[in-house]
Amino acid sequence: MTSSSGPSRKALSKIAANRLQKELAEWQVNPPAGFKHKPTDNLQRWVIEVLGAPGTLYANETYQLQVDFPEHYPMEAPQVIFLHPAPLHPHIYSNGHICLDILYDSWSPAMTVSSVCISILSMLSSSTVKQRPADNDRYVKNCRNGRSPKETRWWFHDDKV
Amino acid sequence: MAPAQASAAKQAELLKQDGNTFYKKERIGAAIDAYTGAITLCPNVAVYWTNRALCYKKRNEWRKVEDDCRKALQLDSHSVKAHYMLGLALLDREEYAEGIKELEKSLELGRGPHSMSYMVEEIWQALAKAKYTEWERSSKEIASQLRKLEEACENALKIYRDLDGSTEDEYEEQLIQLREVFRKATVADVPTEVPDHLCCKITLDIFRDPVITPSGVTYERAMLLQHLQKVGKFDPVTREPLEPEQLVPNLAIKEAVQAFLDDHGWAYKMRP
Repeated sequence: MTSSSGPSRKALSKIAANRLQKELAEWQVNPPAGFKHKPTDNLQRWVIEVLGAPGTLYANETYQLQVDFPEHYPMEAPQVIFLHPAPLHPHIYSNGHICLDILYDSWSPAMTVSSVCISILSMLSSSTVKQRPADNDRYVKNCRNGRSPKETRWWFHDDKV
Repeated sequence: MAPAQASAAKQAELLKQDGNTFYKKERIGAAIDAYTGAITLCPNVAVYWTNRALCYKKRNEWRKVEDDCRKALQLDSHSVKAHYMLGLALLDREEYAEGIKELEKSLELGRGPHSMSYMVEEIWQALAKAKYTEWERSSKEIASQLRKLEEACENALKIYRDLDGSTEDEYEEQLIQLREVFRKATVADVPTEVPDHLCCKITLDIFRDPVITPSGVTYERAMLLQHLQKVGKFDPVTREPLEPEQLVPNLAIKEAVQAFLDDHGWAYKMRP
């Protein structure tokens, strides 16, 4: 998937760059279980490998998350999407967009890439059925112009999964 | 005020405004002339001196910066800018201790009730840089002294053994212990990580101006205010409702940070 590169591709602010360097350093010492950061020299876009947790529907499957950071991170949420192919999940659209409140309305600057990853893995792990969201086709069609999931007015499915 | 004085003051003020305009256009020479005119008319206004000092700073004429700032401080000992630029001038001629003292003074004044937040960041950067340089210098010096001392001690143990004061086994044992003592002494000054409890949950950086929320979580003041303004009126960690008026300085953490920085000068290192 060629990414909708996010609403703004402005360079990271000094505060954002400083914080991301610290997050990356911490990640290297203490990565969240089940995740692998693919090293690049691009601090503003991280590609992270996710390994489905053992004993869940996604065991032994690997997926890739693409995380893009806005200029004013962490005052603004990062844009997080799955690269193709996205896992089959009731809250994950086939274009990789993820319906998860903390990525949008419920973002808090005290959250980190690491804590976001853990939330996404827990969302995967608690799934009981491998299927797309009911409105998948309509939503994906609406996003064809390369719209970022951050521009979507999300109506969060529920908080059980 | 006598009419003549009043008109001199008015004229000086106009010259200052000219100076400010020139400065903004980077016409530093013209700005210096204008401020000099203002100073001639009204030598008792501290701002004229600090404004001219700012021009000299731009030209790296640090001696003149120092002179103007000292004059300004005689007139107004609370001038944040005068303490700041005097500090920079002193650092330039390698008066590190005095320079750092001036920067600390300006930071303290700048953070006061009439906060000049735009300057505080700049002052902090200069101070952190000076402190880090100071640490590097003293750390190198200490390391080389320790090395010399260690050599001298090893030699002494050897001589003592050669004089039959100790057996070969005792000597070997003492040598191992000696090396351990010196290893510990060196490690204490090696940069590691700043402990989490001295770092803000938003910046992940060591605190400068920590404030505590009613939830009991401590944040960097400037970042938390930005969060309340841009993201929402809630505590970023606990998500409890939060208003800017509820923030209280966390003096205990502030002291702990200062104590940590005093012992670990490397923690002043700023990322580029």
